[in-house]
Amino acid sequence: MVVGGGIGGMQASLDLANAGYKVYLVEETTAIGGRMAQLDKTFPTNDCSMCTISPKLIEVGKHLNIEVITNAEVESLRGAAGNFTISVLKKPRYVIDEKCNACGDCIAACPVEVPSEFDENLMPRKAIYKRYPQAIPNAMAISKANRAPCVLTCPTGVNCQGYIALISAGKFEEALKVIRERNPFPSVCGRVCHHPCESECNRQELDEPIAINPLKRFAADCVRGMKPEERKIVEEKPAIDPARPKIAVVGAGPAGLTCAQDLALLGYPVSVFEALDKPGGMMYVGIPSYRLPKEIMMEDIQRIIDLGIELKTNARIGSDGMKLSDLKTKGYQAVFLAIGSHLSRSLPIEGVDLPGVLLGVDFLRDVNLGKEVRVGRKVLVIGGGNVAIDVALTALRQGAEQVELACLESRKEMPAHEWEIEDAAEEGVKLNCSWGPKKILSKDGKATGVELRRCTSVFDAEGRFNPAYDDAVITTIDCDTVIIAIGQATDLALIKDEPSIETGRGGIIKADEITLATTAPGIFAGGDAVTGPKSVVEAIYQGHEAAISVDRYLKSEDLKQGREKAKSEPAPVPEDRSFEKRPRVKTNMVSAGERKGTYREFNLPLSTEEAVAEAKRCMNCGICCECLQCVLACGPKAVDHTMKEERVDIDVGSIILTPGFESFDPRLKGEYGYGRMKNVITSLEFERILSASGPYHGHVLRPSDQKEPRKVAWIQCVGSRDVTCDRDYCSSVCCMYASKEAIMAVDHVPGLQATIFYNDLRAFGKGFEAYCESAKKNYGVRFMRGIASAVKEIPSSNNLRVKYVLDDGTIQEEEFDLVVLSVGLNPSESTKVLAERLGLKLNRFGFCGSEEFTPNETSRPGIYVAGAFEAPMDIPETVMGASSAAALSAGLLSGERGTLIREKVYPPEREVGGEEPRIGVFVCRCGTNIARVVGVPDVVEYTKTLSHVIYAEENLYTCSTDTQQKIINAIDEHKLNRVVVASCTPRTHEPLFQDTLCEGGLNKYLFEMANIRDQCSWVHATFPEDATEKAKDLVRMAVARAGTLEPLKDMAFEVNQKGLVIGGGLSGMTAALSLAEQGFEIYLIEREAELGGNLRRIKSTLSGERVEDRLKALIAQVEREPKLTVYKQAEVIGFSGHVGKYKTTIAHNGKNIDLDHGAVIIATGGVEYQPQEYLYGQDSRVVTQKEFEEKLHKGDITRGSVKEVVMIQCVGSREEGAMFCSRVCCSGAIKNALRLKEIDPQINVTILFRDIRTYAFSELFYRKAREKGIMFTRFDLDRRPLAEKVDGRIKVKAFDEVIGKEIEFDPDYLVLSAGIRPNPLSEKLSTRLKVPLTVDGFYLEAHMKLRPLDFSNEGMYLCGLAHSPKLIGESIAQARGAAARAATIISKKELLIGGMISAVDKERCAACLTCVRECPFDVPVISDEGVAWIEPASCQGCGICASACPRKAIDLQNYKDSQVISKCEVLFDTIDAALGA
Amino acid sequence: MKIGYYPGCALHGTAWEYDQSIRKACEVLGVELEEIKDWNCCGASSAHILNKTLSVLLPARNLALAEKEGLDLLVPCAACFNRLKAAQKKVREENSYQEAVPIRGDTKIIHINEFFCEKEMLLRIRDRVKKSLTGLNPVTYYGCLTARHPRVTGMANYEDPQGMDCVLETLSVKTRPWSYKTDCCGGNLMMTRVDIVKKLSGNLFSEAAEAGADCIVTDCPLCQANLDTREHEIAREAGRTFDLPVFYISELIGLALGIDAGQWWKRHIVDPRGLLAKKGLM
Repeated sequence: MVVGGGIGGMQASLDLANAGYKVYLVEETTAIGGRMAQLDKTFPTNDCSMCTISPKLIEVGKHLNIEVITNAEVESLRGAAGNFTISVLKKPRYVIDEKCNACGDCIAACPVEVPSEFDENLMPRKAIYKRYPQAIPNAMAISKANRAPCVLTCPTGVNCQGYIALISAGKFEEALKVIRERNPFPSVCGRVCHHPCESECNRQELDEPIAINPLKRFAADCVRGMKPEERKIVEEKPAIDPARPKIAVVGAGPAGLTCAQDLALLGYPVSVFEALDKPGGMMYVGIPSYRLPKEIMMEDIQRIIDLGIELKTNARIGSDGMKLSDLKTKGYQAVFLAIGSHLSRSLPIEGVDLPGVLLGVDFLRDVNLGKEVRVGRKVLVIGGGNVAIDVALTALRQGAEQVELACLESRKEMPAHEWEIEDAAEEGVKLNCSWGPKKILSKDGKATGVELRRCTSVFDAEGRFNPAYDDAVITTIDCDTVIIAIGQATDLALIKDEPSIETGRGGIIKADEITLATTAPGIFAGGDAVTGPKSVVEAIYQGHEAAISVDRYLKSEDLKQGREKAKSEPAPVPEDRSFEKRPRVKTNMVSAGERKGTYREFNLPLSTEEAVAEAKRCMNCGICCECLQCVLACGPKAVDHTMKEERVDIDVGSIILTPGFESFDPRLKGEYGYGRMKNVITSLEFERILSASGPYHGHVLRPSDQKEPRKVAWIQCVGSRDVTCDRDYCSSVCCMYASKEAIMAVDHVPGLQATIFYNDLRAFGKGFEAYCESAKKNYGVRFMRGIASAVKEIPSSNNLRVKYVLDDGTIQEEEFDLVVLSVGLNPSESTKVLAERLGLKLNRFGFCGSEEFTPNETSRPGIYVAGAFEAPMDIPETVMGASSAAALSAGLLSGERGTLIREKVYPPEREVGGEEPRIGVFVCRCGTNIARVVGVPDVVEYTKTLSHVIYAEENLYTCSTDTQQKIINAIDEHKLNRVVVASCTPRTHEPLFQDTLCEGGLNKYLFEMANIRDQCSWVHATFPEDATEKAKDLVRMAVARAGTLEPLKDMAFEVNQKGLVIGGGLSGMTAALSLAEQGFEIYLIEREAELGGNLRRIKSTLSGERVEDRLKALIAQVEREPKLTVYKQAEVIGFSGHVGKYKTTIAHNGKNIDLDHGAVIIATGGVEYQPQEYLYGQDSRVVTQKEFEEKLHKGDITRGSVKEVVMIQCVGSREEGAMFCSRVCCSGAIKNALRLKEIDPQINVTILFRDIRTYAFSELFYRKAREKGIMFTRFDLDRRPLAEKVDGRIKVKAFDEVIGKEIEFDPDYLVLSAGIRPNPLSEKLSTRLKVPLTVDGFYLEAHMKLRPLDFSNEGMYLCGLAHSPKLIGESIAQARGAAARAATIISKKELLIGGMISAVDKERCAACLTCVRECPFDVPVISDEGVAWIEPASCQGCGICASACPRKAIDLQNYKDSQVISKCEVLFDTIDAALGA
Repeated sequence: MKIGYYPGCALHGTAWEYDQSIRKACEVLGVELEEIKDWNCCGASSAHILNKTLSVLLPARNLALAEKEGLDLLVPCAACFNRLKAAQKKVREENSYQEAVPIRGDTKIIHINEFFCEKEMLLRIRDRVKKSLTGLNPVTYYGCLTARHPRVTGMANYEDPQGMDCVLETLSVKTRPWSYKTDCCGGNLMMTRVDIVKKLSGNLFSEAAEAGADCIVTDCPLCQANLDTREHEIAREAGRTFDLPVFYISELIGLALGIDAGQWWKRHIVDPRGLLAKKGLM
């Protein structure tokens, strides 16, 4: 198993799968590709990162033996090396990736925008998304957090986030539909709901909650205002089956009607019995019209009735007319009682029976039903709840001049909603809080006032209602009408004749909390009658639940099963996104003055603009809002919101960890202002800005104003080499990526001035030194030594002031338009968790780390590591390490090779030679992607007119599995011998369709594709007619070429399964042993008499390991290994053959020996530079580091024997003639310097350097060296140190650039860090093997980034110092990596030679050598016959020779001149015709 | 709500208006301040650089007194705050001080900028605001001692503190963004290196002006004194005017709460009354 699908993980997977192992590749995100996919260009070649990685993505994605598991994490591990069982948690992506064809229709439909992680949050993506355009798997995924608190709080579970998101996207009908899923009364609730959702809204943590309820009203009002023809959504009517059991619902309030609606939608015939003459229950009679206009409420109700429900008004059950028991006899098989609580509670005080004393609920009902209700001049309302408030406001409208309210509660305790109390106060209702009525005063039999006593507390210690009074404090309020609004009760008259129905405390009907079943079978009850007076939305919820119970009851199912409400944790405030404060929309009311005395609705609606803007404030806490628009939009039905996470156990033999890294969070270095200053960005953000698929489409713009920056600064070491944030290691890659970004910035914006503030320029890799030199010379990049200490923002321009210290100590400030922080590499939190689950030890930074001699090994056998999780490293090192880890895995599991792999078997190929072309054309609609622009039916009809086209059809998705079968059937039915698909792009889909041809018995080269999506409908979206014409042209061209296609045979040949390694140093021996471990026979060729190479002269490593013991053990192992044949004192004198079949001739002991093998690894090493400078060779006290190390090792230097040692770095490196860094000298010097201090702390050690390049964890030794008192003095190349002999002593003078003075030294030893040079014999060998060298003389790999171990000639590999200077661990990793690469060839019994190769027409060839010179792979040779010969096994099929050949003697198969020209001819046909016309 | 109060010498002297405004505001906000009995110098002026033991023991004694009262400790002076925090850290880490001043070291030491921006306090302020201060365009200036060293002060966002900005937002004031919230004003060199003070403070004035501010709000008596006393001189020498009154945050809270603030303004050298009158705030 490989964990982590970045470039390292992909390489390891491919190496193993190609060598005969089954691989599981587990990736945390929804697509493989990792960090490299995010990058723009790569150094030092400036190749496009995506272009180089994309073919690998596709290779991994379609590899039969790599199972890619995305969106997954490793949970636990059992077993041991060779036999692990790993538990993997697969998180749901909510999209079935086999069905998804990535057309993007769902993205267009999704209303939720969140920042795109892939674009470093610089641009938005939708909740349903593809990580990036080239992502593999090529499928969407949906991001979900927990459900938003609004949704979870809503008593009836309305998907608030969903409708808010839809409103924000302008989809108002869709929004209303989402509301109605759970709430059939959106118009009502949009006005009267007590909206607990808003109190839970996470937005209030930032500013104020979203106006959720006004938005609901907006959606309802907006759709109500639409004309029928404007509506897109047609509501479907249920088919009610009269034969099904009849159901009676008693009470047409919110609970009853909701239940009736749900049951009707299930197809049951439902009758609703309503006691009053109007439906609506409390909604009608309890809520005054100034809150809820009757006609609006009636629309919600009518919509339900229209489903086919029988509504019987004036049908009071339990009265004389009909008893509850009669319902059963009338055939109703289930009953839902939702009778509300319509009785007013009264007070047990004197005077309540007086005329002029009214009851609140009755009062409201009478007013609402339009009865004539008179109140006096002065009204006192008793009660502090919402009903009391409504009573007070209604009394005002009924003509009262003055209304007061008295309640037991204090102002703060009042149960009425705060906003309603405020409304009342605004209209002049006077509040008398903390007063309890004692008696109603009267005169002449009429109420005249109320005597009240002070209420001292309402609730007792247990929180129960138990008011306490102070009878000493009494007041009187004069009035002529008293309205008591202290509570409601349910009229239980109707259950009198059903004694089996039990009642509960407080006069309610007893019903099961979950099922709402009463104690009488078949009778259910809900709403206020069960819960006591509650809200509309709570009644709706009960209505829904009752419907479920009734349905189950009628089907004799278990009522309760699965209905327990699990408590779900709501989504928290999204921490990963930032929001700007924006106040909540003001919902307006008719002014208090205007609303007085009128029942006109007093809450005003939101305008469309207000509503959309308010909806956009939503933070989308749950990310996906589950509005299900994607489900509707998806043609292939690939979206599945019900997916659950899944745990699988996978048995594997070994594990490779390549989880990559995370960038350092620059907020931890607050002085740089990241997060506060818009134009301070991270390097990864800058990569996205550079990228053509990034936020500014590849234009270099700065975030604050989207203008081109003229001056850009890079600040290095942000979160690297920094003890203050516990990251004292070097991140290894930042100096180079910053240089690259600077070059790219200048390249994008000519004249841009790029400045890099750095500590030490760490350009230690292959080709890096020259790259940085070019940055300076050719792009004018300014490298400023010194770390910037702070960044300040200039408020007017958002420009930035960077403060830095010059070499001479002066503090400078400079203004820039944009500052890029070169953030370091951190192990991510999730990798730390991963390591813990796997039981691995990490270093103190959380990296996996490894020992010098065991790179890629972890603390646990069988688990290997590669890439930036091991240590900070760049792409080539990651690739090498990944191959090395693959080699370790393959070594461990060599016995299992080939046991689990799968190969595809096809039916025999049909012979089509000599047949007339019979072409089938399949034109894809790609959902609407092509069809919405291109007239697909038109194209199909046109296609049918083309010659040789036997069959043409259109498909919704040509790539879907069923269409593949249709193609196969069509091949058979119409005897097709050529197939054309006009669809998306051959980049991703050609291999798929070729495979379909094979399955249909056709040669895969008989396929042609017309790109009518990426290159037609997508780019000409606004020109449908022209696009259709272009699509016809493209199809015509494809058909023309198809007619000329010929079948090509892939030829197989036998592989010689042996390997050959040239060079017996550390790298050569390691490579040979690794291959032997993997079970291959190996020849190892060494020129010298002894194995060991350069390593023989190294005594210890920086971390203190003894090299000699290691070397001895290694040599012994090599000599013991039976699969290994070693030839010492042997030289390669001949080399021929091709991949899989090479013959190398060596001269050995005076004889020539021929060795046959399938692959070769070059590990011929390098040499130490022999200095000409600094008195080297003229004085025995001037030595190289290696010589000095030998002295240290021999004990030549003892305590007191030496006083001063000076070391000079970069001797023979980084200058004309050797413009490269030798990489190892800085750590080598520090190693020896530390050893000196160990021997005698009194020795003065000074290292004269240009840049200290202790990358990754060697940085810690650099710090240790400084702590131990080793002096570091920097010099510039133009003022290099001077060594001279004065009076028999060596004098060294150096100009210290930091203090600006010359210093003199009087050392006992002058140690020169002599660089590494290429092996001088490389030139000869490279000519013999026909492999290229770099300008520096090292071997040149196929691709510096992604193929660092391969030569461009297949089957040939390189490693060690032959590649470039490197440390011991790096050589070992590279050697093993090369072995893994070689194993991909020699593990195979036979290889196929591709059919798409160049062939020479001997008759025409003039042997002019053009092809020989042009071929980038050095394949063509002039044969014995005197004409060019292209070895089929070596040809890469690039076609360069074919296009270069002046006599047209070379043809690239499948792309013959005639085939390409055929396309052009038919294209120009129409152009000619057009011109003629 | 009751809290211990350690005014330190500045608030009994030069920063009288700071002390008064805190006391008045707390009164209105229902916070009872209990001044620590028999408190002594925190050692910020000289002890902390001259005598290592005293640098810990002087503030430690105050902490011991506060512990006796069993109250959290509100410390308005940034220097006092820093010394008390540093001493508390020290006595927690090293046992050797226990003999001289036995303390537990668990008193919560609170500075003004965190005290008023606690959620509860913000709500109290919001509920009691009489006058919104809309129209003022201040920059907030925290100086160095309440922020640094974060391992001593425990301030998370020490490069960009938010406490006073939060309070001002509650008073309907939008602060001007600037990058100099915690840059040093040179206050500790007030007497000894006037040249440095002028350079550092001068920089703050010109940056505040560039940020479009019409006043500076601080919560450090040293910064306030330093900036307020030097402003005219610096402006004169630069040949320009700044006209930037330097307020204590508590003065503005008081103003918003409707406290009669007349006495405070008189003590300012850069007279804020003109600005306040112009904005209709007095």
